[in-house]
Amino acid sequence: MKKPFLILLLILTSVIYSQTDKLKVSGVVFDSKGETIPGVNVSSEDQSIQTDIEGKYSINVKSSKSILKFTSIGFDAQIVVVGKNKVINITLAESKNVLDEVVVIGYGTQKRSNVTGSVSKYKNEKMDEIAVSRLDQALQGKIAGVQVQNVSSEAGADAVISIRGISSVNAGASPLVVVDGQPNPDGLASINMADVASVEVLKDAASAAIYGSRGASGVILITTKSGKTDKVKYAFKYSSGFKTAYNRYPLLNTSQYTQLLYNERDIRATDPYFINPDPITQIIPVNNILYLGSNTKVKSIQAAYIVEQTLLGGKGYNYQDEVLQTAGFKNIQLSASGGNKNMRYFVSSGYQGDEGVMLKSNYEKFNFRSKIDIDLSKKVKLSFNLNPSYTAKESPSENFTNFWRYASWLPAVHTAATINFIKNNLTPNSFSPLVKVGDYAHPRHFIGLTYSSFMPDGSQFFMPDGLSFGTNGVAVATPNNSAQNNPMAALLSHDINAKAYGLQSGASFSVNLLPGLDFKTMGSLYMKYDTKLDWSNRDADGDGLENKGVYYNNSYIDLLSENTLNYKKEFENQSLDVVIGYTAQKTKGAKTQTTGLSYASDDIRTLNSAVFIDKLGTFGSQNQVGLLSYLGRVNYGFKGRYLLSASFRSDGSSYFGPGNKWGSFPAASLGWVANKESFLNKVGWLNKLAFRGSYGVSGNNRILDYGFSNLLSPANYSFGSETGTQTPGLATTSTIIANPDITWESTYQTNVGLDLSLFNNRFNITADVYQSITDKLLLQQATMAFTGVPLAWNNIGSLDNKGYEFELSTTNFKSKNFKWATSLNIAHTENKIRELGNEKYLRNQGERTELYQNKVGDPLVQFFGYKTDGVWLSQIQIDEAKANGLTSTLPSLFKPGGLKLVDVNGHHIDSVTGAFVLDEGKPDNIIDIYDRTVIGNPYPDFTWGVTNTFNIKSLDFSFSWQGVQGGQLINGDPNYADVRSRNTNYNTNRWLSPEHIGDGKTPYEDIGFNWLLTDYVVESASYFALREVNIGYTLSSDFCKKIGLSSLRLYSSANNLYIHSAAGYRGINSEGRSNSGPYSSALVAGYQRGSFPASKTIVLGIDINF
Amino acid sequence: MKKSFKYISLLFLVSLLGCTDIIDLNSESNIVQENYFTNYSELQEGLTACYNGLQKPLTYEWILTELRSDNTIMDGGTSTSVVNNDLGFIDQFYPPTIHEGIKNYWLLTYNNIRNANVVLTAVGASYTAPTTVGGNDGNIDIATDLPNATLDQRKKIAAEASFIRAYHYFNLIRLFGTEAIPKGGVFLLDKVITPEAAKQLNRSSVAEIYDLIIADLKNAVLNGSTDPYSVKTPDQLGHANSWAARALLGKVYLTLGDKTLATATLLPVIANTSGYALETSSYANVFAVNNEMNKEILFAIRFKGGGVGMGNPLPNLFAPTNSGSFVIKGDGKGYNTPTTELAINLKTNPTTFSYTDPSAARALVNYNSYSTSDVYVNKFMSRPFLANDAENDFPVLRYSDVLLMLAEAGGSNATSLGYINSVRSRAGLAALKIADISAVTTKTFTISSGTTTMVVEYPLFEKVLSDERRYEFAFENQRWFDLLRFKKTFTTLNAESVMKFHFVSQYDAIYKGFTVLPVTLDELLGNVTNNNNARFVLPIPQYEIDTNTQVQIEQNPSY
Repeated sequence: MKKPFLILLLILTSVIYSQTDKLKVSGVVFDSKGETIPGVNVSSEDQSIQTDIEGKYSINVKSSKSILKFTSIGFDAQIVVVGKNKVINITLAESKNVLDEVVVIGYGTQKRSNVTGSVSKYKNEKMDEIAVSRLDQALQGKIAGVQVQNVSSEAGADAVISIRGISSVNAGASPLVVVDGQPNPDGLASINMADVASVEVLKDAASAAIYGSRGASGVILITTKSGKTDKVKYAFKYSSGFKTAYNRYPLLNTSQYTQLLYNERDIRATDPYFINPDPITQIIPVNNILYLGSNTKVKSIQAAYIVEQTLLGGKGYNYQDEVLQTAGFKNIQLSASGGNKNMRYFVSSGYQGDEGVMLKSNYEKFNFRSKIDIDLSKKVKLSFNLNPSYTAKESPSENFTNFWRYASWLPAVHTAATINFIKNNLTPNSFSPLVKVGDYAHPRHFIGLTYSSFMPDGSQFFMPDGLSFGTNGVAVATPNNSAQNNPMAALLSHDINAKAYGLQSGASFSVNLLPGLDFKTMGSLYMKYDTKLDWSNRDADGDGLENKGVYYNNSYIDLLSENTLNYKKEFENQSLDVVIGYTAQKTKGAKTQTTGLSYASDDIRTLNSAVFIDKLGTFGSQNQVGLLSYLGRVNYGFKGRYLLSASFRSDGSSYFGPGNKWGSFPAASLGWVANKESFLNKVGWLNKLAFRGSYGVSGNNRILDYGFSNLLSPANYSFGSETGTQTPGLATTSTIIANPDITWESTYQTNVGLDLSLFNNRFNITADVYQSITDKLLLQQATMAFTGVPLAWNNIGSLDNKGYEFELSTTNFKSKNFKWATSLNIAHTENKIRELGNEKYLRNQGERTELYQNKVGDPLVQFFGYKTDGVWLSQIQIDEAKANGLTSTLPSLFKPGGLKLVDVNGHHIDSVTGAFVLDEGKPDNIIDIYDRTVIGNPYPDFTWGVTNTFNIKSLDFSFSWQGVQGGQLINGDPNYADVRSRNTNYNTNRWLSPEHIGDGKTPYEDIGFNWLLTDYVVESASYFALREVNIGYTLSSDFCKKIGLSSLRLYSSANNLYIHSAAGYRGINSEGRSNSGPYSSALVAGYQRGSFPASKTIVLGIDINF
Repeated sequence: MKKSFKYISLLFLVSLLGCTDIIDLNSESNIVQENYFTNYSELQEGLTACYNGLQKPLTYEWILTELRSDNTIMDGGTSTSVVNNDLGFIDQFYPPTIHEGIKNYWLLTYNNIRNANVVLTAVGASYTAPTTVGGNDGNIDIATDLPNATLDQRKKIAAEASFIRAYHYFNLIRLFGTEAIPKGGVFLLDKVITPEAAKQLNRSSVAEIYDLIIADLKNAVLNGSTDPYSVKTPDQLGHANSWAARALLGKVYLTLGDKTLATATLLPVIANTSGYALETSSYANVFAVNNEMNKEILFAIRFKGGGVGMGNPLPNLFAPTNSGSFVIKGDGKGYNTPTTELAINLKTNPTTFSYTDPSAARALVNYNSYSTSDVYVNKFMSRPFLANDAENDFPVLRYSDVLLMLAEAGGSNATSLGYINSVRSRAGLAALKIADISAVTTKTFTISSGTTTMVVEYPLFEKVLSDERRYEFAFENQRWFDLLRFKKTFTTLNAESVMKFHFVSQYDAIYKGFTVLPVTLDELLGNVTNNNNARFVLPIPQYEIDTNTQVQIEQNPSY
């Protein structure tokens, strides 16, 4: 097979040398700025050559009447008659036709006008001035159909990116990121925005299918900046600014909350519904609900009130303010680029320092990039790049939730007043002799002490429960019964520092074997080494705990060899571009985690000083993954009007077992450039009208390693006398059952698109409609728990995504001194489950057993819980309902002021078959588990982004809005009693008594929840935000020349100046979502709890080129 | 030309890279199950994992047993934390069907049943159900010809795996099984089944589950080691043997109400041939960490402290909350709090509750107090160096249990009194006389809360035996199962009467103060009486019913 091919190549190669000389013309091609242009196609009669690195060409023509044609992408073509001139220097005008920009596609490039798939391009004009530290964040709202969600707004956190909805549920669904032809396993995290020249997104399967197994979730192609043949150019960019939290939770401190309770008691006291208030407590027990809270609880809040009033001067701590800070943001970029006849280079280094608005949250990134292209000879080119990077990330040990939910009466650190109170108390506790000023204050230090003071209404502290009744307003109480340390102490006693050392490098040789025929071989190596130390000081999480260090070491190596043969030929009316290739990839990873305990000092944190190693926190594993692929593509164009592209890829993956390893991914697309037809080419205002259609298959294999075989894991036991001896054991899986038949998941996508440009390209529209069907879903399916394992791998089901995307860019106004341009994108996507094998539906649980239903015919995820109809207004209302036969099997349902669940469904046992039958929509007067129904879904109706750019002389100004419309989220916050009581979003207008029902919808704090998912916690997830504002001033070139610069720009950029959340949303960041644990599956989506505020960032920057 | 040749050679070299072994890979860190269990030592590793698998369900078992009994309460009435919330529901017999603790216990138990089934299949053991449900011809057959080990070796492993499987099913059926519906048992798996097959499987009847338990335990009695305790080699200690299987089988028969079979099964355990006996040195020595697997321990779930990943987490769960490091490193969670009637601080006032254990030796081991209000379970408190890493084993079957089971099976007579007295004597208590347990003698208790007054009258034998078991096995997760069983072995004293008494006596002090689920005393009493004590049975986890879209699984009544 190989040998005949080789001989064929040899024969073909020798043809190159059989040309004869005639009339010779030479010259240099310049652009309008006077810079030479390499790679311009110069053709005459039957020949065609390209200008060299310095823009020079030399060509033999038949006669002086011969015509020379100069064409280059991005420039208008020019034709000259040779005449007498033997030296012809040409200046090419830059093409106004943006449609003919070059677009990077998989394994090649294409003219924009020839693209038949759905490819969006985003050029880095001022992207690196956006005040964010990561490229994914910068892309938010920029490209239609690319949804970027900052689910966590901590410094350096990964954003969740999805292209055209959800194509996969359990296999990895993040898009493939390819940087200069090399897949980047790290996604967009390690890419330096300043190095990026352009971002292309392959959205439809026809474009992505050439990437086969990894294209199912779309492909993001990053092209980095390259050097040009020129003298060396330096660029320096510096920006610096600060970040603050956009907003905070509205909280009452303990004093305010106690005051609220007393106010509410007074309001209730006027309610004729209450006849005989308890003479001692003045708390009215009705149906056993004590409306000031129950006995011990009242005691707790009163004791807490006393601490806050008497020891903290009435001013409680807002732990949000304690933990949030104004943080710094810094970005420094330096690059040098240039080249000579035989080589071009681009070298850059960058530093980004991004402090989080939360203490102990920091992100630093150093990037180095060198890219060198060398022409080893006329036919052999070498391209080489080396990109080391280093990131350091410090993470807080405590979730932000722990702070804003924390009791305000407890100081973070003991003051003289609190120590005096604890030590000299009438009933000192075990901690009294030990605590001292400056120590962290924990709830346990305040237990069982004697409290004495006045309450907000002037009454003395009393004991309502009659058990430990004090006299004269003096009583023993425990303000907060929690074993947990205060969160500030916990935060400051832990250090979590991760460092990642990355290296992406690659080299490619390309050999021009024949005119138009190139062979390219590329080898790339990606290495990453992560280390993390998760350190806890002594007593960090509780008294008497040893100090602890958990060391994580992960190494990752990805080796890739790609070999392609590319043939390009332009005929008179036809163009042909063929690629065939073979690639092999091997990935090796190794992980170790070591837990050391009991160090001599909190300051010596290396493993050598650990007294012992904890086996429970010590693991090691390694794995490897392989991928083999064959690929091919033909692009054919006829008269530039009729375009055809067809591709094929076959992938073999180690993720699947024997017999299931190989998958095939064909694709085809067609295009018709209508404006080039004779009946339209004279319409002056029409610059482009093109129709595109494509169909293709892409695959997904990104499941857990070795999902095809069950693995045994260590499960040891102690046998023998006394404490016993450890004996090794091996247990079967307890997490997910393997499936030997598991194989490729495939996505079949149809795309129809339209490109329209009008009025001298001032008005450009791209519109696409698509449908993609993912079949044989790689599904972590819930199994019956009695199999002993809650999940199993399956390969069933089918998911349908369809939607449309619309991109519009207009130049609204253009004059010499003023320009206003707008770009807008809107995307809509909707998904539906087509089938799930033998299942009618799946139901999956989140962290609080809230259910997510995945049902055939419905959107992928729907929230499944109870409908509510406000709250029960009174016991009378409840008694009436019960008298009408309403019953319930749910605990704690019938409580005045508690949520009133709606009886939606009934059920009965079929009298003939004895089978259970659910009567949907037929209430049966029993509120039970069968009344759960669909109460929302997390999918937006559409997502949009719009950017306006103004240029007024040397001043430029742009602002970008971005938004998500529609969709819901489950707000997990109101599941917590402390949230419902102290957060004013939940305690305003709440039910107080039958006469004071508030808004009739807000339940009284403790009642009626029990973790049941109800529509009371389902809220709108819509929002829009002023993501970026950028204002810049570019100094005149004359002035710059005087001071020896080629350009100088000053700018200011702001992020998240305004965010608008939908009405009814009660959290602080509509974008926040839980995405770990159960939420890492796409089948469980849309849950938010205790999210972190967005960051508002303002920076000033300078951009110097010389 | 020469150059071209070079490039083409390069191309050729590169093409050679395409070897398919790049994609023929297997795990480097884990052994593939399908290729394992090919010899005796590998089979033993599989069996060891079954023992390891006993540990995890145990961390939830107290929630479903002690907390629901009159031994302990959920003490964090004002806490709204998820866990306290869940514990409160269980304590008040009001668990929602989505209760996390129930689901976790269920899942972890079935996971170890899976481990046992893997081993049983590997040794060629298969279960044949009796020809008629409840018949006595159910059997575990061991294939005679398998290459991975000798028949004797495989029989020995099968005996132990059978014991573990039976232990789990016995717990499951007592917690989740109900005879109120025809298929009121749990799911019967005697081998590993595929996820697809699992969706076709519905609940078995209670009797069908007992058939499997009895067949498994008979296999464990028959094929398990009958070496007496005295000649055991150290590495045998901790393995389930024929004696342990007898003790468990005796308890199964007693639970089913068959006192004759129970007695016949249990008597050989107390014969000299077993070598097992009471640890007469002291009650404390039964649980001492330097005396683990003493001659009284027929079977225990073993833990090992010292950072080896096999420590016992219960002490940290049970130590009082807010006690810093005064009780245990890393503070406690304050769960599984002894009821005031059982607790030591009331021992000084024995007139209030005659329930209090009069044996100081036993009381000191069972509970301790941190402050006047913080009484905690002290039984497994070996003060480990690390949090959640105690050394203490958890006893499952003790010699004293066998003695008291024999007394229960024998009823009120002199022989039974002898068994009870030997347990009392080890606890430092005076022997009872036959008059103290005379069948006609009754004892009356009266307790009031608000307007509710309860009067209970128990025959003295039942009261004495019930108390003796309660104090002897306090916090060993026996009490709830005892109370359920008494319905078959006793005449008057049973779970309903005891729990009603418990709620009335504890309502004012404890249950009234709950904020998460405020209930009236009437509701509490209703939860243990309504619908023929339906809530004594736990709900089948909602997860199972929600996950199966093909077979409708019937939930237990009243959920």
